[in-house]
Amino acid sequence: MDTRRARTRRQANRGPTAPVVVLVLVLASLALGLTAAISLDPITVEDDVGDRPIEVAEDGFVSSDSCRACHPSQYATWRGSFHRTMTQVAGPDTVRADFDDVVVPAVPGRPMHLERRGDEFWATFDDPGWQDPGGGVERPRITRRVVMITGSHHQNIYWYATGHDRALNVLPAVYLLADERWAPRSAVVLHPPGQGVATTDGHWNAICIVCHTTHGKTQFDSPFGSEPITDQRVDTTVAELGIACESCHGPADAHLRSHVSPIARYARHMTDDPDPTIVQPARLDPERSSQVCGQCHSIWEFATTDAERRANAGGLPYRPGDALRDSRFLVQPSVDSHSPDMVGLLAADPDYVRGSFWPDGMVRVSGREYNGLIDSPCYADAETAARTMSCFSCHTMHKTDADPRATATWAETHQVSAGMAGNVACGQCHTEIGENPAAHTNHAPASTGSRCYNCHMPYTSYGLLKAVRSHTISSPSVRESVDAGRPNACNLCHLDRTLAWTGERLTRWYDRAPSPLDDDERTVAASLLWLLRGDAGVRAITAWSYGWPPAQAAAGTDWMTPFLGELLGDPYDAVRYIAARSLGGLPDHAALDYDFMGARDARLTAAVEALRVWERTAGAARRRDPELLFAADGSLDIMKMRRLFSERDTRPLFLRE
Amino acid sequence: MPNTPDSTPDYARRHLRFGWWSLFAFLALGFTLELFHGFKVGLYLDASNETRRLMWTLAHAHGALLALVHVVYGLSVTVAPTVGARHRPLVSTCLIGATVFLPGGFFLGGVSFYGGDPGVGIFIAPVGATLLMVAVFLTARGWSRPGSPRS
Repeated sequence: MDTRRARTRRQANRGPTAPVVVLVLVLASLALGLTAAISLDPITVEDDVGDRPIEVAEDGFVSSDSCRACHPSQYATWRGSFHRTMTQVAGPDTVRADFDDVVVPAVPGRPMHLERRGDEFWATFDDPGWQDPGGGVERPRITRRVVMITGSHHQNIYWYATGHDRALNVLPAVYLLADERWAPRSAVVLHPPGQGVATTDGHWNAICIVCHTTHGKTQFDSPFGSEPITDQRVDTTVAELGIACESCHGPADAHLRSHVSPIARYARHMTDDPDPTIVQPARLDPERSSQVCGQCHSIWEFATTDAERRANAGGLPYRPGDALRDSRFLVQPSVDSHSPDMVGLLAADPDYVRGSFWPDGMVRVSGREYNGLIDSPCYADAETAARTMSCFSCHTMHKTDADPRATATWAETHQVSAGMAGNVACGQCHTEIGENPAAHTNHAPASTGSRCYNCHMPYTSYGLLKAVRSHTISSPSVRESVDAGRPNACNLCHLDRTLAWTGERLTRWYDRAPSPLDDDERTVAASLLWLLRGDAGVRAITAWSYGWPPAQAAAGTDWMTPFLGELLGDPYDAVRYIAARSLGGLPDHAALDYDFMGARDARLTAAVEALRVWERTAGAARRRDPELLFAADGSLDIMKMRRLFSERDTRPLFLRE
Repeated sequence: MPNTPDSTPDYARRHLRFGWWSLFAFLALGFTLELFHGFKVGLYLDASNETRRLMWTLAHAHGALLALVHVVYGLSVTVAPTVGARHRPLVSTCLIGATVFLPGGFFLGGVSFYGGDPGVGIFIAPVGATLLMVAVFLTARGWSRPGSPRS
């Protein structure tokens, strides 16, 4: 007993026992954990979100998070791409515009007011859906929370929760990232002046969702536009916001489940056989692999109303590896302009083709590169799969270790594969030309005139307030400019030359049959004809080329001001924007004070000032070429300018980029 | 405290020597990895080499900790030579095997790899882990037996 008492005393004297120490440590850990949990930002659980489309893993789609563990490199390069950020939830990390008590005047109606409430972004603006009952009632204001963003490369387009289920609508202004400014939504697309662009509740849910998310499901009661959205349930879901792994590789649930076991994985590592549980686009034949890109980078419609109804409920049926045309009508006027589908399409919308294609059927808007590819001889006329051009001939969706560029640089340069930005791309097949390009191009080997892309993929598509390379591989011709009205590659660089000049060289160098030309086409620089007589799309492309360094080097810049100045008053917002950017980039015009959305008088004043600067600085070196409408004394042939202007193609044009 | 001069010094010295030299080797590996960080070496830091980075970090960490285990084991043999004496040859072999195979497997798994999966060298890591488990179990059991010294 004495021994036991003594031991008890010894233990009491030692202080707290081990269980007490453990308890204290556990309580301290819990307190620390709780403090951290309270102080950290709350995690948004998608199921709790009721006012915007949510991410749901279903139908075999598991999201990119599941891919990361096994494919870290591919995940990392995808994560650095603009595909991932095509659609993002609005938050402090994703919203690029300033919302801190900002007033945006550049919107229809009264100015829009932006404000930030903690981590939320709110906007107050005129209600776009209000129907005027007459009697001079003022359009009501609405205040809505911005919940979603489209784009992260050139523009942020902000979507607000309408308050009706998960239906979204778009803010009346778009934020231009490079310019760090707001512009009306109608101004950032090439759109007829005075016509507003549609801002309908549910637009994102039904239209944008198709290509800007992974496995989007609109889930209205009936397809968009067939019934008022206010009468419908809107339960829009996506597998993932943005264009993620499963957009190109297909749903990955089966792949994931079959590779849980390390034995299965290492067995797969030891073989080169294709994995039947997932689609690897690079292993598909050129036709099918390009269709993976073409599911979004093309112009298409639902083949039937039933197909649209099924897609509304369950998402698009196309899966990578499928034949694209099995589940949709691919619009290709170069080959099917008289098909029943096309005739039906044009009956419903006579401007459908004109808004997306040149008169000869070549696609003229950006983001539809698959249409360009399938019209290219390198694809359509290839005799073997090995010599068939595909999207992957030049682009890669995952930057490789061999590519020394930073991921951001690769993403910024359109995900072109390492080394494929130059003539190597075409040299993969055209080896004989690649060995001595100058013999083919008749330009100095190191000059931009010896770059395959510049002649065979010229900047004749339009989108995102700029000209974009055509993805229809073609050879420059005068005929395309005369018959289809499309600027040709030669004169998009040699801006100061006539079509006759181009025709003479093409005949001499390539034995091209000369095209009949009218008097103006023989005597006036082609680019001036396009600027003065062309439709708004042609003017936009040409104005952009005036700011393209290779064209400036070939044609000089000291004559451009009067013509770009003329475009500062163009009725199309997009044309004015591009012209101002090109003009501001010319020597002596860096201080150009011009707002393409400014008042008409202010724009006129800026144009006059630009002319003054040009008059002052051109001096004796001024060009006196009659092709550029200059007289021998250097003065402008205003009468001829006016006459050409009076011949302008003024038909309203909406380019559906 | 009883002493067994015929066997204790051998194992104690063996593990102290192995432990300190292992510690040196794996600290040198850690130093090399720090240099890779310092000079932003792509073969270690690029996103595409995430698996290598993880494997080599694990090799460094496991190797350094196992080296310390050897030092502790050597000291414990010195202070309590009778504890676990029956299994000492097996424990000693297992500990040394674990120190070779466990970090070695991680290291080899990072030399060449398959995306997020380490190279086939990783398969010797579980062997090392098993040897370590055996050694630790036998040692712990030795210290739980009646007659083991109390602090």
